[in-house]
Amino acid sequence: MKHRALLPLLLSACCMYSTTAMAKEVQLFNDKGFWSGPLQTVANAARADGINLKISPYANAEQYKTFIQASVASGRTPELFTWWTGASLNTLAATGQLAPLGALWQEMEADGRFQPGVKELFSVNGQPYAVPLQLSRWVVLYDKRVFARLGLKPPASWAELQTVAARIKAAGQTPFLATTQDGWRGFIWFQELLLRTDPKAYTGLNNGSVAYDSPAVRNVFRIWSDMYAKGWFSDPRSNEEINDFVRGKGVMYLFGEWAVGLLDKAGFPLKELGVFILPNAPGVQQPAIIVEGAPIVASRKGLANPEVMKTLRFWVSNQGAQTWGKASGNYIGNDKIAAPNALISQVNTQLAQKRHTLFLRLWESVPSTLQGEMVAEFNRFMLKPDMSTAQHVMQRMQSLNAAYWSKRKKP
Amino acid sequence: MNPLMQHDQQLLARIGLAHIKARERARQRRQLRVALRFMAPALLLVGGLLLLPVLYNIWLSFTQWQLFEGRDDFAGWQNYIQLSDNPYFDEALGNTALWVVASVLFPLSLGLGMALLFRRMPGQEWFKSIIFLPRILAPTAAGVMWYYVYAPQGMLNQMLGVFTNMPVETGWLFEEQLVTPAIILAFVWQSCGLVMVLLLLGLAALPRDPLEAARMDGAGPWPLFRHITLPLLAPTLLMVVILSVLAGFTVFDLLWVMGANYPQQRTLSLAVFMYFEAFQKNSWAFAAATAVVIGGVVLAVTWLQTLLQARADRMVR
Repeated sequence: MKHRALLPLLLSACCMYSTTAMAKEVQLFNDKGFWSGPLQTVANAARADGINLKISPYANAEQYKTFIQASVASGRTPELFTWWTGASLNTLAATGQLAPLGALWQEMEADGRFQPGVKELFSVNGQPYAVPLQLSRWVVLYDKRVFARLGLKPPASWAELQTVAARIKAAGQTPFLATTQDGWRGFIWFQELLLRTDPKAYTGLNNGSVAYDSPAVRNVFRIWSDMYAKGWFSDPRSNEEINDFVRGKGVMYLFGEWAVGLLDKAGFPLKELGVFILPNAPGVQQPAIIVEGAPIVASRKGLANPEVMKTLRFWVSNQGAQTWGKASGNYIGNDKIAAPNALISQVNTQLAQKRHTLFLRLWESVPSTLQGEMVAEFNRFMLKPDMSTAQHVMQRMQSLNAAYWSKRKKP
Repeated sequence: MNPLMQHDQQLLARIGLAHIKARERARQRRQLRVALRFMAPALLLVGGLLLLPVLYNIWLSFTQWQLFEGRDDFAGWQNYIQLSDNPYFDEALGNTALWVVASVLFPLSLGLGMALLFRRMPGQEWFKSIIFLPRILAPTAAGVMWYYVYAPQGMLNQMLGVFTNMPVETGWLFEEQLVTPAIILAFVWQSCGLVMVLLLLGLAALPRDPLEAARMDGAGPWPLFRHITLPLLAPTLLMVVILSVLAGFTVFDLLWVMGANYPQQRTLSLAVFMYFEAFQKNSWAFAAATAVVIGGVVLAVTWLQTLLQARADRMVR
C-alpha cells in the first residue's frame, strides 16, 4: 500500500523535474546544411541558458523554399526559420504570418550592439520582421603578395582601380576573378558597377522606376564589356572559383565576406588576404556598400511559445553572436563583440571611418520571380561579353521587368 | 401472346428464373465487395498518391498561384496561353523532341549492334559487364563526371589539343549548338548498356526453328537478320523503344547537373523548364500547366506505341 501511494508522487516529481530541466523545444528550420555544425554549436551553448534549440536543416534550397511556401499556404508556418531579405521578405511579410520584432530591435539598438541601418535590411515598410543570421558586406578580396610584388596599394578611387587592374594585366596575371559557377553569380559585377556609377539607378531598378534598358544600365554594360575586352576577367566558365583564387587565376575577387572562410578552408593563407571596398566612379560622392543579410524570422504563431523569443534574444546577445561568429566565421552586425576574423574587422574599421549607405544585394532586391531570369541573362553576357549580347540582355530583362511591374504598384 | 410462349413463361415462373437471376446478382455484388476489400490498399495508393495529385495539378494549372499568392484565384486558360507565347517553352519543346529521337535512335542501334556482336563472342560476359557498368552510376554522379570531361580545361579538350597540336578550350556545355549533343552523348554512354542487356535477353528467347529453317533454305546472315530475327525481336524492340521514349521525355538529372552553368538551362528540356518555373521562379500555376502539357504529350506517345505493340504482337503470332 505504501508503494502504491508513493507512485503518483514519484511520477509527478519526475514530470516537474523534466519540465524545469528541459524547456519546450524550438526548431530552427533552415537551408544552411553547410553550417549545421556551427549552428549546433550555438544550440549547445544555448542549452546552458535553458533553451532547447533544435537545428533542422534542408540540404537543398529549392526543397526548403517549397516546404516553407507550402507551410505558409496551409497556415502551418514554422515557429522559427531562415529566409531571404528584400523582395522575398516583403512577399512573406505580406502574408501576415510573420511576427513583428520591433521590441526586440529596440533592445538590440538601445545598448549599442547594432548600428542604425542594419535594422532596415530586415524590415518591411519600417517594421522589422527578422534578426540577422549573417551580414556579409560585398568587398574586393585581394592577394597581398601580388600587390606587394607589383608595388600596388588598394585603390582608393576609380582611376586607381583602373591603374591597378592594368598593372596586374601587364604583369601577365588576370586582375579579377569572376565565374558563372552554380548559375547564380552573374549579377555580382553588374550590381557593383551599377552602384558605383549610379546609386539612384540601383534603387530605381529594383522598384520598377528605372528600366533595364535605361542609359544607366547601358553604361554599366559598356564598362563591363570594356573590362572584358581588356582581359581583366578570368574564364567565366570555371566551376572552381575558390580554388581558382588560391591558384592565382585572379588577383582580386569581388564577393561577400563569407568567402573568407571558404578561402581559408581551401588553403589560402589569410594573412596574405587583403580587402578593400570598390571605389565609386567619378561624380558619385556617396560612400556605399552592398550588404547581404540572411534573416531568421519567427511566425506569429511561434510567438505564442515564449521559448521562441528567448531563442532570438540569445541569438543576438553577445554570447550568441560570439559563439556563432567563432564557429562559422559569420558576422551578424553585433559590434559589441570582436569580429570573427581580421578581414571583417578591417571592413568594420573602414566603415567606421566613413559612414557608408548600405544597399541590399541585387539578388535579394529584385522581385523573386525575376531572380532566376536575371542571373541567367547576366551569365549569358559574361560568356559573350559584347554590346550585342548586352542589348539582348537589356531587352529581355526589361520586357520581364515591365510585365512584372505592370501588375503591381510601384513604391 | 401465343399459347406456346405463355406456356414457357409459366414454366419459367415455376422454376423461379427471376429468383435465380436475383441470386446471381447478389452473388456478383458479394464478389465485388470482396474484390474491393482486396483491392482497397492498391486503390487507395493509386488514388491518393497518383490520381489525386494529378487532378490537383490540373486544377492548379487553372489558378494564378505564384509564390504565396493566387492559389485560390481562377485564371482560366491564361497559363496555357502564356505557355504558347513563351519562347523558352518552344526551345525546350524542340530540345525534348531531339532528346526523344536521340534516346531511341542511338541507344537502340548501339545496344542492338553490341547485343548481336557479343552474343556469341568469346569472353562476352566481360565485355557485357564493362558496357553495363555506367548504368550502375547514379545519373547525377555520371553528370558530374562528364561535366569535368567537357570542362574548358577538361579531358576532352586536352585530348583534342594533343591531336590538333594546339590548345583547345571549347565550352562544350556553354555553347547553344553543343550543349544538347554533348549531354546526349553522356546519356547514350550510360543507357546503351541496359538496352544491350534487354536485347540480349530478347535474342536468347527467340525460337530456333524459324532461324534453322531459313538457314537450311540457304538464307544469308543479312536476310536472316532482316526477315527472321528482326520481326521476331519486334516485341522486345518495341518495349525498349517505349522505355527509351519515356527516358527521353523525362530526362532531368543529367541536364540539371551538366547544364548547371549554361545560362539558358531551362531550354534544355521540358522537364527542366518545368522545374525552373516551379522551384526557381515559384510560378506554381504556370509550372503546373507545363506539367499537364508534358503529361498529355507522353500519354499520347505511349498510347500510340501501345497500339503499335499490339500490332507487332499480332504479326509475331
